[in-house]
Amino acid sequence: MAILIYSLIFIKDRQAQLNDQLITMNGLNGTNLVAISLGEITAVVSEIKKIELVANQANAIRFAEIIDQLDQQFTLLPMRFGSIVDTLDTVSQMLKTNYQGFIKNLVEVENKVEFGLKIYCDPEKLKEELRLKSESESEILDDSNTEHSVSVYRVYVNKKLKAHRLEQKLLSYIEGVTAEFSEIIGQWDAKSKIKKMVTSAKVVDAVFLINRAGKVDLVRSIEGLQAKYPRLSFVLTGPWPPYNFVDVTLK
Amino acid sequence: MHDSIIDRSKEITILELLDRVLTKGVIITGDVVISVAGIDLIYLGVKLMLSSVETMEQLKAGKPILKKIAYQNTYEVQP
Repeated sequence: MAILIYSLIFIKDRQAQLNDQLITMNGLNGTNLVAISLGEITAVVSEIKKIELVANQANAIRFAEIIDQLDQQFTLLPMRFGSIVDTLDTVSQMLKTNYQGFIKNLVEVENKVEFGLKIYCDPEKLKEELRLKSESESEILDDSNTEHSVSVYRVYVNKKLKAHRLEQKLLSYIEGVTAEFSEIIGQWDAKSKIKKMVTSAKVVDAVFLINRAGKVDLVRSIEGLQAKYPRLSFVLTGPWPPYNFVDVTLK
Repeated sequence: MHDSIIDRSKEITILELLDRVLTKGVIITGDVVISVAGIDLIYLGVKLMLSSVETMEQLKAGKPILKKIAYQNTYEVQP
């Protein structure tokens, strides 16, 4: 038998509430969930036969569901799937050795939830739209009717120049969207990690931490952003436990 | 209220969930990872699952809007 760890909970004086909840829940493979406490932190664990810990999608999802259920009621640090130690004593020792680090992380995520936002586009369609818009605004000059158009060299340079300007417009467009998104999450003083232009289709990949109460306002704000940028596809996920904002590696 | 106008996608949620539970969170390192017959079981499993996640990601890149099936954690906003 081994011990599978699901999460580390900032329990404070709510141990009785956690115990009541654990009675109603099951661990992986239907095992009982057990609380191992030290000071203000409680590790939620279950016994598991090593051979039963199959790393498949169903088990990973079940593992995440258990963490998610606990996250509805408590501030916690989620463990990565497959976090196993040999005995309950090892869990106690882990809590003791890493106590200050756990507390520091728990304070930073207390009463907060994580959201993820990915923004997708069809780059070719978007470029075409930007091109049409630019031409209608006469921002990209078309020299085809001038005397220069007879020059092959001139036609080539013009074509390259247009392509370059379109690329610049696309980048500028994405920068604008990202800036607006940053401003939105800035109202919660949110911790965030934002990657831009991850691929030509995935233009933004962001995770951020906001107060639990901010969900409705966040959804409304992202809806507003979607309405403003109909050529982009916004995928907002959450609320999640703070998976992306845990900075602890146990030794 | 908002759920009525925001579509939900099970596939994207599972993708996001797997990405988090397999690659994020508190990490235990050292000699506690289970091995079977000399093969690191957890590591092997994670690699296999990540492969399917990548496949889903590629599919999704071309078609950002997938099926619309209710699932509690995803809010997908459509144009």
